Amino acid sequence: MIKEFFRKRSIHACVVNTGGCNGCDIEILTLIASRYDIEQYGIYIHNNPREADLLIVTGPVTLPWKDRLKELYEKTPEPKVVIAVGACALSCGIFKEGHVCGPVDRIIPVDGVIPGCPPRPAQIIEAILKVVPTSIAEREKVIKEEISQ
Amino acid sequence: MNVIPIGPINPIFKEPIRIKLIVEGEVVLGAEIEMGYVHRGIERIMEGKHYLKGVHLAERVCGICSYIHTQTFVECIEKISDIEVPDKARYLRVIVTELERLQSHLLAVSMYGMAIEHETLGIWCLNIRERVMDLLETITGNRINMGYNVVGGVRQDINREMLESIYSTLDSLEEDVKDIMEIFKKGPLISLRSKGIGVIGYREIMKTRAVGPVARASALPESDWRLRHPTYKELDFKPVWTEEGDNYARSLVRLKEIFTSIELLRRALELYEESGGMVRKKVDIKGGAGEWRNEAHRGEVTYKISITDGGIIKRILIRSPTVMNLSAYKYMLKTCPTVSDAVATYVSIDPCVSCTERSIVLLDRRTGEVKPYFK
Repeated sequence: MIKEFFRKRSIHACVVNTGGCNGCDIEILTLIASRYDIEQYGIYIHNNPREADLLIVTGPVTLPWKDRLKELYEKTPEPKVVIAVGACALSCGIFKEGHVCGPVDRIIPVDGVIPGCPPRPAQIIEAILKVVPTSIAEREKVIKEEISQ
Repeated sequence: MNVIPIGPINPIFKEPIRIKLIVEGEVVLGAEIEMGYVHRGIERIMEGKHYLKGVHLAERVCGICSYIHTQTFVECIEKISDIEVPDKARYLRVIVTELERLQSHLLAVSMYGMAIEHETLGIWCLNIRERVMDLLETITGNRINMGYNVVGGVRQDINREMLESIYSTLDSLEEDVKDIMEIFKKGPLISLRSKGIGVIGYREIMKTRAVGPVARASALPESDWRLRHPTYKELDFKPVWTEEGDNYARSLVRLKEIFTSIELLRRALELYEESGGMVRKKVDIKGGAGEWRNEAHRGEVTYKISITDGGIIKRILIRSPTVMNLSAYKYMLKTCPTVSDAVATYVSIDPCVSCTERSIVLLDRRTGEVKPYFK
């Protein structure tokens, strides 16, 4: 019970740039500045997929990333949540005709999306706080039922 | 001899790149750099498209230096078809470029602070950067990927209130950056971790053709392409340079360039207020081919465009600064005693991987053939 409550408040995030233009990554990086201060909500960005609960994926999936992203998703321990940030991760955006193999949800399952090129830092924080705690709790319930069966 | 692979996902990297450090114990002997994770083929998408679409694609080459890419693209087309831009637009371009240079350099110093485990410096620089981003937002309407340039001028004029807010913010910004400069010079941790590490001399710079703050930190002030730009000649610009060529000198050059950028901004704002007229001009595009260079925040950026009469892009070639700086990085490793110093040196050249990856070739190890990735 206590563990479930605190799980909602301590999220480790891993930022994965799968070939974007860097704009979304910079906006995610500014989240640690004092104006936005994402750590006050208990979210810690440290880019280690083996410890992460949340994968923040930016950019269209380029050809070398296709297998890597699947590997990375499998490396991340359950329960896990994936959020796609930016227009490129949603639909490949401006790079639709380039050397890319599709948006993120064609490769791995995606829980939440944030449109915008790039979305503002406040939007990113709002979306993460809306989606992640509830879906981690739901996911945890499903896993527990599976184990008990 | 062991190999430590770093990346493509690593706490220290903003972007995906893989570096294989060859080490013996803790001593770094060399490095192999694997790239190709961010190649999207922007030049290929641009071919056969109208130049107005090309401006937006050139913006998405890189997110941190998005404005300077559009400026170089637009100025290249203006050079090909002999378009004279109105004075007001030229000064507005300088203002936005220098503001972007401020935020890029502050970000670079902050990332270096994080890399040498001085997080206080990193957070301070990020906080100052937010104020610059606010200025960019008031002028152009967006924080990153602004879409401000068009061929023949800029999209919008600025008004009196914006001018006053720019002036007042520049004053407060200068004082804050002075504080950071003092911390950078006096802090014992910073000089201990960065003086004499990652040294690169004149000979290696000439061998690898490194550009930007990396070259300027090794006593090569003429590598600054702002010296040859027609608008900057009116503003009597003088480049900043130092002699040491180590990590400390590179970050110091960036901090000093913030002051020259603030001075340039003040002069450009004065000239902007004196000039009058429109900010945008009707253009008609003539066919031809041409080349234009600009000083981006990390070094020189080159655009080579050939275009038809209606304004359809035939072929485009983009050359960005980090390619040369990454090859200079291999020579810097000789003076890196530990692995963490090698990583800090990588951050100190301020690499921008999504600028760098402009083409992929496959090397067949058995036959030695070099093939294109896509037929």
